[in-house]
Amino acid sequence: MNVVVTPTMLGQVIISGLLAGALYAVVALGLGLIFGVMRVINVAHGTILMLGAYVTFWWFQLLGINPYLSLLASMPLMFLLGALLQRGLVRRVVGAPELSSLLLTFGISIALVNVAQWQFTSDLRSVEYLTGSFIVGPFAFSKSRTIACAFAVAIAALAAWFLRRTKLGKAIRATSQNSEVALVCGVDVPRVHLYTFGLASALAAAGGSLVAVMVAIQPEMGGVYTFKSFLVIVLGGAGNFAGALLGGLLLGLVEQLSSLFLTTQVSEAVAYVLLVLVLLLRPTGLLGGRAS
Amino acid sequence: MRRAFPALLGLALVLLALYPLVASGYGVRFMLQLFMWVALAQSWNLISGLTGYVSFGHVAFFGTGTYVAAILITKAAWHWGPASVAGGVGAAILALIIGWPCLRLKGPYFAIAMLGLSEVMRVLVSYFEGLTGGGSGISLPTLYASTQIYYAMFLAACAVTGAAYFIITSRFGLRLMTIREDEVAAEAMGIDTARYKLYAFLLSAFAPGVVGGLFARDQGYIEPVAVFPLLITITMIVMTLFGGKGTIWGPVLGAASLFVVEELVWARFLYLHQLLFGAIIVLVVLAMPRGVLGVLQQRYRLPRTI
Repeated sequence: MNVVVTPTMLGQVIISGLLAGALYAVVALGLGLIFGVMRVINVAHGTILMLGAYVTFWWFQLLGINPYLSLLASMPLMFLLGALLQRGLVRRVVGAPELSSLLLTFGISIALVNVAQWQFTSDLRSVEYLTGSFIVGPFAFSKSRTIACAFAVAIAALAAWFLRRTKLGKAIRATSQNSEVALVCGVDVPRVHLYTFGLASALAAAGGSLVAVMVAIQPEMGGVYTFKSFLVIVLGGAGNFAGALLGGLLLGLVEQLSSLFLTTQVSEAVAYVLLVLVLLLRPTGLLGGRAS
Repeated sequence: MRRAFPALLGLALVLLALYPLVASGYGVRFMLQLFMWVALAQSWNLISGLTGYVSFGHVAFFGTGTYVAAILITKAAWHWGPASVAGGVGAAILALIIGWPCLRLKGPYFAIAMLGLSEVMRVLVSYFEGLTGGGSGISLPTLYASTQIYYAMFLAACAVTGAAYFIITSRFGLRLMTIREDEVAAEAMGIDTARYKLYAFLLSAFAPGVVGGLFARDQGYIEPVAVFPLLITITMIVMTLFGGKGTIWGPVLGAASLFVVEELVWARFLYLHQLLFGAIIVLVVLAMPRGVLGVLQQRYRLPRTI
């Protein structure tokens, strides 16, 4: 492929990368929170995202109301589901070797995917809402992606405020830094775990509701987002808020930039090489942070 | 029991070797797949059961084997036997390239890197269409060789289990298990951990490559999504875990019992079998993380090398 890259094209690609990246950041933030607080690798994170996307689909299909308002339904619903999963199952593997949490959450994931296939069928669904783009000068901003990005930034800011300013948020951060010391200082660690899993699932659901307007919805759509979230938290450092944002934007940029020269498929391979390099050279993420 | 064991084992092997003479086509295919799972579970056991490094993308080696063998069979007209061995070599080369940097990663990071590897292999195989047929896969020329492949899979399963026996009862195995228990202590005792981890990793990648090649020949058609799914990795892990990881016979027991269960469940609950498999995984992880043999070992003072 011989492509001549003009500055306009490059600018366009950077815009698309940043728009996609903000969304990755919100989803990955949840995964990073769970990993940071509980040391659990949640393979079911993308599955929760998928369920969030279905909430939006049915919301729009049955009620016909603006799909972005479905965030008000998908986030609380997935918060509850996450809290339930944590209370019922995940709680038992906190502190166990990583193999237990990987397998357990994978088991949850295929069970949920199977339920979705059974209840919603495997048909591709879509939310036909916003199409077309805002045109600014030579650049096009896809409407659905721009709005998704705006929501993602707002939700991330809200989550950041929550973690910094509220008592529960502070307890979550304290547990993430050192759960034993947090326990000694009077933090109710099991309760923190419960809320963390709920909050993280709500963030995944937000991602799901936002991508629902952009891509086809089907029960197996979550796997890709789980993988991308891993990439983001490795790039940015787990449990590190600014890191997740940086990692998300970086992943979005790398994907879009490499898709300029290669196909989208190979851009995933580029992201993997980046992942291994970062793991080897900066295992605590690009912004540093706590070593595990 | 201890004296009767070699005789019983010999009898079982003879019976299995004679089985194709009396079995139906379905029976042969069933046992052939069972052997495949024994070999896969046992291979995973070699790296993850012994060193504790969780290979969460072991299917990458299986898939690489299927593609190397399928390409050699279709493009270079190789016989499926040598082609499958070449699949194993291909998988081991991949393991060398990946293992050298990635085995330095600790705990969850190694698992994530391996998960990434299997995803990326699928993507790369889909990308190089000229060689691999891309998303539409490779069709192999028709060949009726179920019985020969049965024996090849049988041999592979025996060979990996034999290898597990020799490793677990040797100093090499002890070194690997020392790494699992405490890597820093192992290093302090003078064990070249990087080298032994890499050896174990290469050994554990070779057999999945070989059985991958045999699988490709047996199926006659392969495509990226079917030979690189995370589900295959998970199945290997759950089988090993159920039987008892780090033991010689655990993966054999786990693979045989779960494969039989899966066949029965698959036949009866076609639509919900993933839900049931998910439930089995959750049960194994929560209720018996040490596996059947691990529990027996604890309760009845069985030897460590079981």
